[in-house]
Amino acid sequence: MIYMSRIKRLLSLVLAVLTVFSLICLTGCEAQKKLEPTKKLFVNDFADVIDEADENTICELGAALKEKTTAEAVIVAIESTDGEEISDYALNLGREWGIGDKDKNNGVLILLASEDRNVYIAVGDGLGGALPDSKTGRILDYYALPYFEDDSFSLGLLETYKAVANEIYVEYGLEPGEGYIPADQLKEKSEETTDVKTVVVSWIILLAIVIVYMLIFRRRGIMFVPFGGGFRGGGFGGFGGGSSGGFGGGSFGGGSFGGGGAGRSF
Amino acid sequence: MKKGLIAVIAVVAVIIVLIISVIGGYNGIVESQENVETAKSNISTQLQRRADLIPNFVETVKSYKDYESQTYKDVTAARSAVAAANTTKEQQQASEQLDKAISVWVNAVTENYPDLKASEQYRALQDELSGTENRVLVARKDYNESAKKYNTMIRKFPKNILSGIFGFEKYDYFENDASAESVPKVSFD
Repeated sequence: MIYMSRIKRLLSLVLAVLTVFSLICLTGCEAQKKLEPTKKLFVNDFADVIDEADENTICELGAALKEKTTAEAVIVAIESTDGEEISDYALNLGREWGIGDKDKNNGVLILLASEDRNVYIAVGDGLGGALPDSKTGRILDYYALPYFEDDSFSLGLLETYKAVANEIYVEYGLEPGEGYIPADQLKEKSEETTDVKTVVVSWIILLAIVIVYMLIFRRRGIMFVPFGGGFRGGGFGGFGGGSSGGFGGGSFGGGSFGGGGAGRSF
Repeated sequence: MKKGLIAVIAVVAVIIVLIISVIGGYNGIVESQENVETAKSNISTQLQRRADLIPNFVETVKSYKDYESQTYKDVTAARSAVAAANTTKEQQQASEQLDKAISVWVNAVTENYPDLKASEQYRALQDELSGTENRVLVARKDYNESAKKYNTMIRKFPKNILSGIFGFEKYDYFENDASAESVPKVSFD
């Protein structure tokens, strides 16, 4: 009985000490603002700017890229670097998380600071051939900035991610994904934006046609609800698939960075 | 006789322990020194990389007249000084000189030819140049960190005895902040 009470006392003492320490640690951690990789690993949206569907797509792309090439490409979106140079922030974060293979140093970190309106792509030394700084800058010019300037961060990051992944595939002698254009063949920026515009315009026309049809059918006294239902059902259901659950609990390969990369303000 | 044997065994044991710890300490210092040397050669690599970018820029501006002005001659002079540098200090001074010369030259060229800035090649070169700049900074920072580790190691007891015996020398640091202040930035906007 005496032993029991002693043990209890000891336990409560240990608990008290642990609580104090964890409190100190918590406040200490908060002061440092240390970022930890999220469960999704390849996409870490701390600024809440990326759509769920895009996150899942990026996750799938990232997992496929890693499987085929061992290279790790990671998106991190934050609000601000709090005055730190974005290139330094990216370098430190990439090294801390160990993005890329430990021996190959083939990691890429795409860092967006949405409120600073800065973006930077840090490239591990092992990918210097696939993504020299000039190519990285060009990718930002063509795939990120046109979207970022309109605050469509989600789409811009997705497009940038695809472009980066494709360059890595090509470097490793593999087939790039759909719609790959070698970075040195990218044409004027305006073409890219007109492409987006045509898509938007054609969607509007399609929508107008649908509305007109609906109005006509309504006048004739036919229920238009089934039509609407059929329209919605087409093709778009497949995106948000449950596969994202499979990415949880992973970690990076321990790669390092040497200061390579390119950045833009927008 | 027995006591003598015990004493001998004790002395031998102490000597063995000493030798083992000397070997361990020595290897530790050598390993740390190797890290510093790696970091140092990385700086040289990055400096060379930057120096190699200059012909690219010349290629880009070749179509413009008078690109080979006095400012360009300063750059080539600074470039060969970097290649000729032997010590860390010399290399630092030469590369600072090159930094200055490059930015003065690039600024002079772009001031004379504003339309150059809009060109695709020029943008690409800017990215390469600032990327390399960053690599040099990172390489220097890494060097400083490893040199600090090494320098502290060889000065701390008991390894200071070893470093005294084997003649391990202190490494110089790069002073990044000082050079960053004195170098005019290449304006990219």
